[in-house]
Amino acid sequence: MKLTKYGIVALAIALLYGGCKITAPSGPVAGLGGATIGKYVAVGNSLTAGYQSNGLFASAQAYSYPNLIAGQLSLAGGNVGSFQQPLYSDPGTPDAVTGKASRYELISWVGPVIGPRGLTPGAPINTTLPRPYDNLGIPGAVIFDFLDSTNVGIKALPPRSNPLFALVLRNQAALGNSIFQQAVALKPDLVTFWLGNNDVLGFATSGGVSPSAPTSTPIFTALYTQAIGTLRAALPNAKIVVANIPDVRAIPFFNTLGPKIAAELPAGVALQYQKHGNSGVADGSTNFTEANPPLITLTGASYAPLLGHPGGKWYRDHGYPALPPGIDTTKPFGLHPQNPWPDALVLDAAEQATAGASVQAFNTVIAGVAAANKAVVVDINGFFNRLKASGYSTSGIVFTADYISGGTFSFDGVHPSDQGSGVVANQFIAAMNSSFGWSIPFVDVSALPALMVPLSKGAKVYPVIPEGSFGELEMLWGTR
Amino acid sequence: MTRVRQFGEALLLTLIVASVALAGGFQLNEHGANAMSQGGAFAARASDGSAIYFNPAGLGFQTNGSIYIGATGIVPTISFYGPLQDNTNAETNMNSQFFTPINGYITYPVTDRIHVGVGVYNAYGLGTEWPDNWSGKNLITKVDLKTYWFTPTVAYRLMDNLSIGAGVSYVSGTLLLKKAAPFDTRVTLDMTARGWGFDGGIDYKATPELTVGLSYRSKVKVDASGSAGFVPAIPVLPVGGVTATITLPATGYAGVAYKFCDALSLEADYQYIGWSSYDNLTFTFTKDGSSTSAPKNYSDTYILRVGGEYLLGSLKLRGGYYYDHTPVSDPYVDPLLPDANRHGLSAGIGLNLTDHLSVDAGYLFIKFLDRTVTNTIPATSFDGTYKSYANLFSLDLGYSL
Repeated sequence: MKLTKYGIVALAIALLYGGCKITAPSGPVAGLGGATIGKYVAVGNSLTAGYQSNGLFASAQAYSYPNLIAGQLSLAGGNVGSFQQPLYSDPGTPDAVTGKASRYELISWVGPVIGPRGLTPGAPINTTLPRPYDNLGIPGAVIFDFLDSTNVGIKALPPRSNPLFALVLRNQAALGNSIFQQAVALKPDLVTFWLGNNDVLGFATSGGVSPSAPTSTPIFTALYTQAIGTLRAALPNAKIVVANIPDVRAIPFFNTLGPKIAAELPAGVALQYQKHGNSGVADGSTNFTEANPPLITLTGASYAPLLGHPGGKWYRDHGYPALPPGIDTTKPFGLHPQNPWPDALVLDAAEQATAGASVQAFNTVIAGVAAANKAVVVDINGFFNRLKASGYSTSGIVFTADYISGGTFSFDGVHPSDQGSGVVANQFIAAMNSSFGWSIPFVDVSALPALMVPLSKGAKVYPVIPEGSFGELEMLWGTR
Repeated sequence: MTRVRQFGEALLLTLIVASVALAGGFQLNEHGANAMSQGGAFAARASDGSAIYFNPAGLGFQTNGSIYIGATGIVPTISFYGPLQDNTNAETNMNSQFFTPINGYITYPVTDRIHVGVGVYNAYGLGTEWPDNWSGKNLITKVDLKTYWFTPTVAYRLMDNLSIGAGVSYVSGTLLLKKAAPFDTRVTLDMTARGWGFDGGIDYKATPELTVGLSYRSKVKVDASGSAGFVPAIPVLPVGGVTATITLPATGYAGVAYKFCDALSLEADYQYIGWSSYDNLTFTFTKDGSSTSAPKNYSDTYILRVGGEYLLGSLKLRGGYYYDHTPVSDPYVDPLLPDANRHGLSAGIGLNLTDHLSVDAGYLFIKFLDRTVTNTIPATSFDGTYKSYANLFSLDLGYSL
């Protein structure tokens, strides 16, 4: 009897403690600080479009940073509806030359070989939308294009040769002639604006060859001032968020091949290369040990394995009718001054300085114009520089600026991967939260797909990217 | 002859229990229902078979051989709110789990002064399991560490009021670890480990009422090896052999027990745990010699314990409390082991069923103090609040020869 009594007491104690319930601690509460955001429009270039791995395709567009931001806005009480994009079915847009899908994929583990698979391209699949797209990012767009009302059919022809204006800016007569007009027609409460990258990227990715200089700073200043001023005048009450321009030297397109070549060079042998504007005998040589070594572009991936071997593949691939004066392709390629590493595949120190100065000048312009127009600046340049210097970690994932293994960039070494897009979206969200007093939850990048191909860091192989694969990239910032 | 058979049956029972057991919580201090009921303050009295764990010298004062065998059921509840890296307070609950660390001790007085015994128990173990697709999946989705300690022990009563004891432990364990890995793969590390350790203790009855006990258990370096599997299998990932060395920390007790009257005894213990030996967790992959290392940088820490027993007729009523100071500083808190300072409150009963057979039952409630971390190391980058508690139930049967 006594035992039963104590048993009951013990049981009561057990239930009392066992019944303890956990209650949520105070923490971030999603919200827009009372603001009403009913429409969000994104303006930009390939980075905004969700272009990835050298192509535009729906399964990557789903992870464009604007689409991710739109999703997070909804979580914070924004009522932006369904965010519409100019989707292009997988495997995506065609290469202008081959007519096959330009998207890079892993073709073989041996190498590994990365490049287009020769697949039949996809097609536009969201073409009946009776209004402009919410994502007006056009691959290849430069700052000039924002207000330009040229017919998109003209831009598909040389010199722009860019058919993607027609994909994004449909039905100009009804929906608006320019990016600006179509954006304003949507009456957005929030606009993100990220243009200007291609005004310096085209110069840099072509090794300073095509175009031979970035957009001049006075012209960029005039165009940017006019763009944001016009946008602000048309949308006096909208939140406008602009992103600045990352230093091209922070992306793996420029940082992947050089270190591999440096590791392969025989002791005491230097890479012989052409400096800016030179098509003849090498006027530069490097062991990559100097403070500011030349950067070898990823477009050189199919030529790097030929180093030290006699041959003139570069000249055959590019249809030279005759070898330039002084060139002798019986000499070892890249190691002899008479068969040098081509100017188009290297960003030499002077070219890096040119690109760097333009980025710095453009970003100063962007900061000033933004301040004058009550626009918030997202410092993507600062973020990418930090990424390159020390990486970026979140939820146990470590991102770096390394090609493929870094996780941030897609196979083309320029455009973010799915997870990289999430990281970029979070930079926009962070700027909006701190400037507008909002509390938008960040994208959980761990929930986004990662690139499927790891490259072992120590591997003594070059990523093999077939010649001509970069045709699409060249189109993106081709001659204007 | 009878005794031999009894020992054989007990050993068999021990092995059966052991084969179905799991361990939980990285260090386990629940090694007998009697001790657990009294807040684990038991190093001075060490008056049953669990002396093999708490203080081997305690055997020297035990006059009869005994079998003491049982298990503890652990039901942890852990909720995470965050991560703050995602500017969210979202709740994630750890999957429901149930762990049953075991204990089994057989002791026998060889002479009037020499008492020998052997114990099997789980001194260290860890079990956390989170949803497969939670936001911390790149840190951990499942970890299960079990260690079995087999400890032959001998105690020698030097004087009527002074006993010393020592033991050697063979430690055998398994480690299973699952998480998301780069390139959308999932990695599973499945390893076995073994190592050796030793322990020793002194028990001194200063007066008939006052007993002082000291014990020490060495750190144990366990060498683990096993296999790493990746799904999907990607050729360049280090699939195949994997090795690790984990140091299970040293621990020591200093206890003082006082017998106020025949019916009431109380004890207070200070327990030291040398967690600073756990400075990193490194796995080395055989395939390419690469390794992955997570800094842990735990600190040495302590647990303060008080407990007592009151005789009410034939019923022993027990209660206790302890405060367990976390060895983990904020930057190193991660969902693998979301540790925090803990309060433990325990109660239990003991009853002699026959002249030889007794039963002990105990209950322990552990409240982890809410822990909000905002400065986890870059490799973790997973800030937020952990709220945890655990219910433990313990049952032991004793057979006195």
